[in-house]
Amino acid sequence: MNAPSTWDRIRDPSEKTLAVLLLAPAFLLLALIVVYPIGKLIWNSFHDLRLSGGTGAVKFIGIQNYIDVAHDKDFWNAAKNTLLFTVITVPGALVVGLGLAMLANLPFKRRWPVRLALLLPWALPLSFVGLIFAWFFHTEYGVVNDVARRLGNAHQTMWLLSPGYAFAAICFAIIWKTSSFMALILLAGLQMIPRTLYEAAEVDGASKWQQFWQITVPMLMPSIIVALIFRTITALQTFDIPVTMTHGGPGNATQTLAMLIHATTIDYLDVGYGSTLAVFMFALSLCVTAVYLRRIGRE
Amino acid sequence: MSTRTLDLPAAKSLFASPFEGPGLRLIAAAMVVFNGFFPALWILLTSLKGEAELVSKPITYWPANATLHNYIQAFTDQPLLRYLGNSFWVALLATVSSLIVSALAAYAIARLNLKHRQLILTAIVASSMFPLVTLLVPIFETMRSLGLLNTYIALVLPYTVLNLPVCTLVLVSFFQSIPKDLENAAMIDGCTRMGALVRVVLPLAAPGVFTAGILAFVNSWDEFLLALSLNSSATMRTLPVGITLYQGEFTFPWPIISAALIVAIVPVAVLIAIFQERVVGGLTQGGLKG
Repeated sequence: MNAPSTWDRIRDPSEKTLAVLLLAPAFLLLALIVVYPIGKLIWNSFHDLRLSGGTGAVKFIGIQNYIDVAHDKDFWNAAKNTLLFTVITVPGALVVGLGLAMLANLPFKRRWPVRLALLLPWALPLSFVGLIFAWFFHTEYGVVNDVARRLGNAHQTMWLLSPGYAFAAICFAIIWKTSSFMALILLAGLQMIPRTLYEAAEVDGASKWQQFWQITVPMLMPSIIVALIFRTITALQTFDIPVTMTHGGPGNATQTLAMLIHATTIDYLDVGYGSTLAVFMFALSLCVTAVYLRRIGRE
Repeated sequence: MSTRTLDLPAAKSLFASPFEGPGLRLIAAAMVVFNGFFPALWILLTSLKGEAELVSKPITYWPANATLHNYIQAFTDQPLLRYLGNSFWVALLATVSSLIVSALAAYAIARLNLKHRQLILTAIVASSMFPLVTLLVPIFETMRSLGLLNTYIALVLPYTVLNLPVCTLVLVSFFQSIPKDLENAAMIDGCTRMGALVRVVLPLAAPGVFTAGILAFVNSWDEFLLALSLNSSATMRTLPVGITLYQGEFTFPWPIISAALIVAIVPVAVLIAIFQERVVGGLTQGGLKG
């Protein structure tokens, strides 16, 4: 028997060669867009690397950038805002999303209007949502103040111009945008719960409230946790909505870490310092990813 | 449904919810629909108002003199058509490249005799979970040194990574659902492994490929940060970035912005309206986006 020609080997590669060939594009791409950048990021963070002003020369400065970050008021402010947005909007989206999911789980004759209503917020770009809600919270002509006026509150709240209100308005927009995705995930979870469980509970005389806490919530827990982890990862990256609603203002009251990194590197071209900020944020999100991986590992 | 409820009192217990009668169900549906549509509806109404009506107080909810003038302005004040085109091509190219890369990887994970199957899948999913903003600077530097800033490729490459987890997860589960015997039969009949993949597996996985494709398209269509940072020249901006440029430093031409938003929302809204069942299925299978 002849040894297989090169052509045959290309047409019908061995299992191992095939695996390498098939996985190569994904891993090459990850190397270019994720692995190499992580390395470069860490390298940058130990250097004085300013693309404008400065000397233009790359200088090794050890951990100076890290020391500067630790003393940087803007960094702590942005870190505080990011964490606040996260701890408010993640549970907020969960509660609203669970409510929407339970409403959407009712046996409607036509499912499409409800399904489309849950999909639309998911499909809208965040920057659109930011613009739309900036208009909603407009001091003079916004719907929110108009509704407040009709309800008898004549005072015109300057929503996007006062720190606390701006923060609240952004949280509202984020929760609106993210709760429907949450609802879709939870809805899939709700539909997996066997109806017999509720029937049995009814027979045993459990109230709706008890059924919710003793059947719905525990049975949904796996979906809830997965949804929470992914929501948390995206919440830590909050950028588009504050940028389009307030540009981080008033002052820097709504500036997030992502916005600070973007401004430092892309606007001020201080690549070394911006990279150090990014390392901090990277470490933060790594913690959340680790939680996720541990969870996958257990399953 | 309602007659059955009357016949069988026990059916009441089927739904653990306070909304039981058909009337209350309608209210529940109305609440969800209102929640989903009110921002888009308000933007639509705003886009039909003239300048004078916009600044009259108290604000009007229904436009008194509806005009399409703002839609013309939206296309002339900014190159909206160009933004639409850029977004379309970037999203389409990113979708195609995401599908190719993830279909190959997913096939290997689902079908080949890999030792570290789960580890490879986890590596692909987890490494794409790192926040893009932290990698923004190195990606910016890479694209600049490759001379790719302000090109479609600059966005297509990172978007492919962005879509990789969802597409791979969706496709792995689709590939696993196709009986291996079909493939083996094709190979016994003289197909090579690659031949079997192209002629048997891919056509059967078409619904999965399609679902993954829609998710990838919407993800890429929506991205803002990289588009803002890598493609900043006027002719290369995508829609989510371009739409923020109608505002001047002190002026916010809201009716024109609203008109532009409506134009920008319609294509994706139509897409998800047509394919909503697939989108929901795909999201809940490999749902990774917030």
